Amino acid sequence: MIRLEALGKRYKNVEVLNRVSLTVDDGAFVIITGRSGGGKTTLLSIAGALTRPDEGSVCIDEVDILQLPEPELAALRNRKIGFVFQFPSLIAPLTVLDNVLLPVAFSDRNPNHADRDFAESLLEQVGITGKNALYPSQLSGGQQRRVAIARAMMNRPSIILADEPTGDLDETTEAEIMNLFQGINHRGTTVVMVTHALDYAGLGRAYVLKNGGLLPYAGSALAPEASAQGGNALAPAVSAQGEVL
Amino acid sequence: MRRIFYLVGQNLKRKPFRTWLTVGAVALACAVLFSAAILSRGIHVTLRTAAERLGADIVAVPASAGEDALSALISGNPTSFYMPASLEDAVRKVPGVRQTCAQVYLRSLDAACCVAPVALVGYDQERDFTITPWVLRKMAEPLRNDQIIVGAKVISAVVGTPAKAIGQRLMFMGKPFTVASILEPTGLGTDYTVFLTMETAYQMIQGSPLYTVPVKRDQISTILVKVAEGANPTEVSGNIEKQLPQIKTYTPGALMRSFSGQLQSLVDALFTAGVLFGILAAALTGTLFTLSVRQRMREIGLFMAMGAGRGLIFRLIVLEAACLAVSGGLLGVIVGWAATRFSRETITEMIGNMYMWPDTAYFIQVAVLTAAATTAVGILGALYPAGRISRIEPYEAVRKGE
Repeated sequence: MIRLEALGKRYKNVEVLNRVSLTVDDGAFVIITGRSGGGKTTLLSIAGALTRPDEGSVCIDEVDILQLPEPELAALRNRKIGFVFQFPSLIAPLTVLDNVLLPVAFSDRNPNHADRDFAESLLEQVGITGKNALYPSQLSGGQQRRVAIARAMMNRPSIILADEPTGDLDETTEAEIMNLFQGINHRGTTVVMVTHALDYAGLGRAYVLKNGGLLPYAGSALAPEASAQGGNALAPAVSAQGEVL
Repeated sequence: MRRIFYLVGQNLKRKPFRTWLTVGAVALACAVLFSAAILSRGIHVTLRTAAERLGADIVAVPASAGEDALSALISGNPTSFYMPASLEDAVRKVPGVRQTCAQVYLRSLDAACCVAPVALVGYDQERDFTITPWVLRKMAEPLRNDQIIVGAKVISAVVGTPAKAIGQRLMFMGKPFTVASILEPTGLGTDYTVFLTMETAYQMIQGSPLYTVPVKRDQISTILVKVAEGANPTEVSGNIEKQLPQIKTYTPGALMRSFSGQLQSLVDALFTAGVLFGILAAALTGTLFTLSVRQRMREIGLFMAMGAGRGLIFRLIVLEAACLAVSGGLLGVIVGWAATRFSRETITEMIGNMYMWPDTAYFIQVAVLTAAATTAVGILGALYPAGRISRIEPYEAVRKGE
């Protein structure tokens, strides 16, 4: 379970997050949307221990990760969290298979045959077959994204954090990628996704980040505008089950 | 860890220009330092051997001989200078002097008789303490007037072959001689010197057309001095010059230093260049790695997101630098070795056959030390950018890299 409480974050004079709270239960699929530059990626990064909030707390499985020393934080990212980024994130000089195996390389052991077999099965699951020895530049954008998803799953994380994973893809590929995430979630992995693809809001619970506050998505992009009135001090804390806490 | 090495290797392959530039800079620094160390050691060995081989604590020559004396004493260049033999007695009376031995240099032969020039020196057998200790085969009887003791390379210089036979007959200035013994090789001028009895030396001078002004039997060229136990050679040397102003004295150390001054300047210049290149290599590595880290900011952020800790990121970058620096160091040793190897003849010629090369063990020692030093320099250059990037937050690294 991820529990974000009263998160605040500023960049210079711009307040990006203002007392944002969110609880994501195990196995939930949470979609966060909002305008560009609204703080969605920042929120996701704080949830994934990639950056620290100016205030508030972040708990994963009841552990306050902001109190963890750096090596333990790195280990937590390695074992519990899989990231899928909005940009092409494969490592250019490594093959497809080596890219997928990277999270194992950053753990405390070297990849073995079982890891290799698992990586190959993950690639098959995301629809990449016969391309293990290719380099990222030899793949299409959609294929690269699939490999990135396989890589995020490599260490069998309990949480996948995806930051606009379909941002630059065509509709068909976008649908395929979203299906992949749905499948991952159905197998019990928690998915928190930042996306503009609101057609898929129905995959789970959706929220809108607006003016530093997080609100339940009401089915229309304009809905949060009205809800945001009154300032962020009123920003409600919401659970992944759709309840205002 | 194996995969980290693989990652480093792949990244180095990805940037061949940067890789070779860094390797080249480190190699240049290493090669220059290696050459300087080898040359410097060679000079040291030469000085020490020459001082030991000279066998005397002080060498006295006519004050008027000037540079000729240095050239003859060290390189064995054929030359001649004379002073009254009575000065030997006067030197012997100077406080601190225990033993003296006179030698007479012959104005020597041109190359007509020999493949390489050799020096002819008459020595006082009865008082000698500098020649007989170095013969390869001890002589049962004193040297006769028709016999000679030759330096290690005299026979090959005279007959053009590397023969080394005691009993061989050689002709000098129209007079036949039998080789009675051969001196141990020294790498110095002694290797090209023929030693005769004083009597023979004076006979040859008198019979030589080279001498327009005859040299009398009461003239000598050098006085070799051994000081009494506990006496300071420098002080005794000063006393000799003070009491006998017509004499110029040299202690072996001063003699060698004055002779190798020019070469020492070359070594100093090489060392300075080596240190400068080392600083340059460190700066270049630092700059290249700073740029590289900036270019790879997003990649490093991704690594962190995948669970690479700060320590691992730091090690990744330093390991990359270490690979380049080690490669540069090894290449530098090879280049430095080749440079010293190919310049060997030139240097030997520059200083008149006296230069002695360090032994293989020293070459290996210097190779290891210079490679290690330049590797450390390369790694040092990468420490700052590695330290900086490893402290950055993953999210910041990803954002900055976009």
